[in-house]
Amino acid sequence: MSATATERQQTMTLDGQEVTFAQGETLYEVARRHQIQVPTLCYDPRLEAFGGCRLCVVEVRGAKTPVASCTTRAAQGMVVSTATPAVEKLRQTLLEMVVSENREVAVNPLRGFASQELTTLVHRYGAQTGRFQGKHSGKSNSADLNPFILRDYDLCISCYRCVRVCAEQEGDYAISVMHRGFRTQITTEFNGNLKDSSCTFCGQCVQTCPTGALADKKALRGADLPGEIQKTRTICPYCGVGCSVDIMTKGDRMVGIQPAMDGPANQGALCVKGQFAFDFVQHDDRLKTPLLRQPDGSFKEIGWDEALDFAADGFRNALEKHGRRSVYGIASGRAPHEAAYSMQKFIRAGFGTHYVDNCSRA
Amino acid sequence: MPKPTNQEIVARWRDQPAPLLAVLHAFHERDGFLSSDALDGVSKGLKIPIAELYGTVTFYHHFSLQPSGPTLRVCTGNVCRLRGGLELLEALSPKGAKSMPCAGRCDEPVPVLSGSESLVGTSIDTLRAKPSPLPAPNPGGYAECIFAHIREPDRSTLAGYRRTGGYEALSKALREMTPAQVVGIITESKLAGRGGAGFPTGAKWKAVADAPGHPKSIVCNADEGEPGCFKDRAIMDHDPHTVLEGMVLAGYATGAERGFIYLRYEYPETFRTLERAIIEAQAGGLLGRGILDGGFNFEIHLRRGAGAYICGEEGSLLNSLEGKHPFPRNKPPFPVTHGFENLPTAVNNVETLASVPHILRQGATWYRGLGRNGHAGTKLISLSGDIRRPGNYEVPIGLPLKTLLFDWAGGPYSGRTIQAVTMAGLSGGFLAGDAMEVTLDEPSIRGKGSFLGAGGIIVFDDSRDMVRAAHDAMEFFADESCGKCFPCRIGTQRLTERLAGGAGPRDLSAWTEEVRDIGAAMRATSACGLGMAAPFVSDSLLQFFPEAVRFHVAARHTEKP
Amino acid sequence: MSNPLADMAKPDVIFCIGTNMTECHPVAATGLKKALARGAKLIVADPRRIKLAELANIYLPIRVGSDVALLLAMAHVIEREGLVDASFIKERTEGWDEFREHLKEFTPEWASKICEVPAKDIEEAGLYYGRGSPSAIYYTLGITEHICGVDNVQSLCNLALMTGNLGIEGAGINPMRGQNNIQGCGDCGAETLVYPGSVPITDKAARDKFAHAYQRPDLDLGEAMTKVTAFNECGKTLRAMLIDGENTVVSDPDRNHCEQALKSLDHLVVIDLFLTDTAKLAHLVLPATGWAETDGVVCNTERRVQRLRAAVPPPGEARPDWWIIAQIARRLGIPGFDFSSAAEVFNELCSLSPTYGGLDWDRVSRESLIWPVPTKDHPGTPILHVGSFANGRGKFRVLGYRDPAEVIDESFPVWLTTGRRLQSYHTRTQTGRSSGMDYLLSEESLEVNPADLAAWGLRDDDWVRLSSRRGSVEMKVRGTDRSPRGTVFTSFSFAEVPVNNLTGSGYDPTTHTAELKVCAVRIEFVAR
Repeated sequence: MSATATERQQTMTLDGQEVTFAQGETLYEVARRHQIQVPTLCYDPRLEAFGGCRLCVVEVRGAKTPVASCTTRAAQGMVVSTATPAVEKLRQTLLEMVVSENREVAVNPLRGFASQELTTLVHRYGAQTGRFQGKHSGKSNSADLNPFILRDYDLCISCYRCVRVCAEQEGDYAISVMHRGFRTQITTEFNGNLKDSSCTFCGQCVQTCPTGALADKKALRGADLPGEIQKTRTICPYCGVGCSVDIMTKGDRMVGIQPAMDGPANQGALCVKGQFAFDFVQHDDRLKTPLLRQPDGSFKEIGWDEALDFAADGFRNALEKHGRRSVYGIASGRAPHEAAYSMQKFIRAGFGTHYVDNCSRA
Repeated sequence: MPKPTNQEIVARWRDQPAPLLAVLHAFHERDGFLSSDALDGVSKGLKIPIAELYGTVTFYHHFSLQPSGPTLRVCTGNVCRLRGGLELLEALSPKGAKSMPCAGRCDEPVPVLSGSESLVGTSIDTLRAKPSPLPAPNPGGYAECIFAHIREPDRSTLAGYRRTGGYEALSKALREMTPAQVVGIITESKLAGRGGAGFPTGAKWKAVADAPGHPKSIVCNADEGEPGCFKDRAIMDHDPHTVLEGMVLAGYATGAERGFIYLRYEYPETFRTLERAIIEAQAGGLLGRGILDGGFNFEIHLRRGAGAYICGEEGSLLNSLEGKHPFPRNKPPFPVTHGFENLPTAVNNVETLASVPHILRQGATWYRGLGRNGHAGTKLISLSGDIRRPGNYEVPIGLPLKTLLFDWAGGPYSGRTIQAVTMAGLSGGFLAGDAMEVTLDEPSIRGKGSFLGAGGIIVFDDSRDMVRAAHDAMEFFADESCGKCFPCRIGTQRLTERLAGGAGPRDLSAWTEEVRDIGAAMRATSACGLGMAAPFVSDSLLQFFPEAVRFHVAARHTEKP
Repeated sequence: MSNPLADMAKPDVIFCIGTNMTECHPVAATGLKKALARGAKLIVADPRRIKLAELANIYLPIRVGSDVALLLAMAHVIEREGLVDASFIKERTEGWDEFREHLKEFTPEWASKICEVPAKDIEEAGLYYGRGSPSAIYYTLGITEHICGVDNVQSLCNLALMTGNLGIEGAGINPMRGQNNIQGCGDCGAETLVYPGSVPITDKAARDKFAHAYQRPDLDLGEAMTKVTAFNECGKTLRAMLIDGENTVVSDPDRNHCEQALKSLDHLVVIDLFLTDTAKLAHLVLPATGWAETDGVVCNTERRVQRLRAAVPPPGEARPDWWIIAQIARRLGIPGFDFSSAAEVFNELCSLSPTYGGLDWDRVSRESLIWPVPTKDHPGTPILHVGSFANGRGKFRVLGYRDPAEVIDESFPVWLTTGRRLQSYHTRTQTGRSSGMDYLLSEESLEVNPADLAAWGLRDDDWVRLSSRRGSVEMKVRGTDRSPRGTVFTSFSFAEVPVNNLTGSGYDPTTHTAELKVCAVRIEFVAR
């Protein structure tokens, strides 16, 4: 929730400064609004606050113990300290505990949008990775052979963001929390494969996972490609919803897709097509040169100059022999405005007719 | 009788409040396990996503997802371990016996659950079904509240209950008092939550009465899961109507029309006793529509847990009732405004509710006067372990611990001395040495770094390995941690590993620092009482038994790396 | 859409008709699911028991092509129960009295016989929609791909007008567009009936404006020709065609007819990414840059104008569509094609389109706005029809129910309806070339009610020949409760199963949209 300035009519003290807040705002939200980076692992701004990781605890004057800022609403006159040495020490201990339950912390950023969150916090807090050694939690599922989602639960820290994003954000309710306590295991109904569950492979669980335990298998195919990951913001090529995505590239190769968390139409959501069906772009079947049909029905590769002349000649012939009402243009609902605009202008300016249409009737 | 079909079971419960646990138990009783077909039917019938339902079912100890035949469950709780529970489990393992955490029969070990019957005995030969023990007459000669009439014959029947004034308080309240007056008396009596939290009952009821939203609910927390606690069982087994009367009164005081009793799974006989009592009360016009021919309506729904200590935590309990994954809820909002189905709800412990009819009949002043040294009222203590006369005792709040241990309960077995006692079941950790010089009230016990809580006290004599005792306690918390919050989920595991040996640094000060750091993080940041309380065990071990700890850590040097 | 996607989480009552949103617009459906989680009520009318039907409070499994009857009866109930918004009707609509009189005879009992759903469910749907505050309508091609597609849409408009569910948050009439830029295609005037900005070609002032801008004094006033008519004219009056990125022979109805039409042209130029079945018929195929290789602008179903950005270089000699078209135009001497960038093309569009008047390449690159955006400081228009309608008053349309162009009979006794599936997109030129998608859906099959399957002596995975009056295909069958008795379903995505050999029984007389959602078929076992 993002309160507008006019809604912020109450005041509290945040790290020594008097600040305003709106009814219903949580301490975490107020802190974020003031550029205070309170650490979290179970938080996703799109989801109902959960209060599981406890990293966001802050001190509130008068409270016996620190409170979770993500679930505590601001109140008039509250005096809050977000980073006292005591709280920072607790956070460091918590992070060291979290680190102790996993096989590794540093993972490839191709695994998912949020996959670096734990790593980043471990560095920020100088959490020692050798403390609190003991049993690891979570067991990776290598039997699920689906081509999209890696279920590497050895890296799972049971923050339940996947469970919650699937339920609250996607509405699919495909992810289960099995057992309890340290034996907690994220899985699906009857501990089976995702394909046999109500999972639609939208990938939202992958993108919200803060450790890369759920990971983008297709993107990871590009793990060994040289070069840095570049992200380019664009719009998904499939249906009319117009989800914002980042295309991940390494050099000239597309390696994966991530949803834009601030995409106005999708707020971080995607479907299986937008998330995983991107590699048609660099498929071998792509046309690379103009093709001219031969009398025997085969196609011959030709250069642009020849092709464009041939194209123009054909339309000119029709115009000359059969008049301006003999030419028709069909635009694509899949190509951008510039294509559609050019097509209609080609017909209207070139032939003075309205003999142009698109594929919306299919 | 033919077995009910899937559709019949779902239809029986679908339109009842809080149907999930009841439906699951019905399937489990029919088939001996929960088949995927059954879960599918429940998912569709109650509109719970199958993945969520599956996860929720795996959370509970007593639901099986595979056909497994009749299961024997042997208590290997912290008291029963001192009394041969582990040996009995081994003896019964050829019959497919499995362990269960403390089943609340610490005054008469070892309980074995066989279907819907509980047997007790310390060996196969002595196992038999037996009603739970009645509390002994008050050894100190103090006036009692809850136990005052419990020993009278037929007390568990409506007629027996009425013989000594049962339901008079209800009758008086409905006919002569406004709800606000009822709240007023309870407030004046200084009755506070006897489940351990100690929140003033009057204030809680007033908050529910004042909260907007209907229908409101009274939830009786009968999920007595704390190891070493078995007092609620005694009340419900021997004086069930006092709980029902207390609930109706709570309903009247708060404006609630529906009540739930959330009973722990391990009390099957208690379930039947309560079921009978509810039917009797309904037939007697004391429950249902138009109670005592007046305008007040109140229904009580009895629901059985399925083996999860955390469901004693009120947020988890409410989630469990609602059929959700039984994680604790974030507070605020509190149940008084956002409880069952997000509506105003008073969650009260059995003992608290059982006190209510007595207080209303005999007055707030009378109740306050039952305590000692300025403390108001009484507290039930479940005493068990290495002590001659274990059992439930109703003590005036403020009674010295040693008076209870030595004068009332006969002290340790001959030749033994008391090395330590636990407080609040296990949740308060250990008191030992001079720290046992306390009186039984929160200020005194908190002064020693522990708390009285629900009133379970387990005694360890000098023959016991206190590191082992601490380990067993921490293992219980680890097994019962719900897994929602990080400090508890990881912390209970890491502390258990360290107390078991074989994990943690080999250097004593580093080992101690790890244990203290984990404890500090758990106390300060855990999301509910389980995680906050568990480190009392490890911290009190460090405090009172440093030598034992030193010895324990030193043993790590002889382990193979 | 009259209302933005963000509004999907806001209605009190949601009426989904002819939309399989969870499969075809999955991300939009997440908004709907959030509304339901909050307690909103859902009415779903669809012949198939799709996922959405399982989420519904009222599910109406209407017979294919019976939408108008359902909607008239719902309007009847709303009128009868006095759930109309009298002040909205008075201030913003016309034709109410006549429409009201017209409604009298269309009772739920009457509709029940046509729609084959219980009258009480129709009654209840009417009450729900009428009482919702607000109520929103969502629809897709299940409404438009009928011979009465326009009647269907107008029936929905009638419902919204009589209840005042237009021009307010969380309400509206919301068609969900199927392709990433099909909305934009219309915005750009790539539609025979309108210029850029949706101005009709019959508008004299607009004709003059474009005649001047395009240096084409003889530009027609009116004289539209839809694609459907065009295909009938191929080889007759039409001799040359330029097709950009459309696999028309697979996606359009009556494949046979399409192929013959294209083959009869003297000159067919196809611009595409792949050598599609359509491209294979061309005299010349030109390679276009694809998504992720092209800078440009698209517009989504809520009228949101957004930037596409190139991330990788195109393969070989592929070029942007606009560049290819411009080059051909220049060689034909058509003026005004000296574009050197996508930005220049887009900016020219903005300069000529009233709805895009406040947009330009730079602004679209910075902000994401919902048109109309008439001026540079205009914040966009997420909700249409607030306070008033652009064209004056909202008109109630008096219309009646018509049977589909083709109804079942002894020779063709089964209804076939077609659609899409989550895992594949359109003709699979893209999803079929993306790794892993086969894992989810590797082949097409015919969805048949299990009771029908048994009655017809068939089992899962048996092969059948599916025939209509226009052609036949062979495919596997699969029993599923999604299909009602007597109606079968398949998608047109798989080239191996060219379902559009069968379709094409009729077209809406106004839009020329084909009745892809209804055709009568016969099913016969084939041994394989």
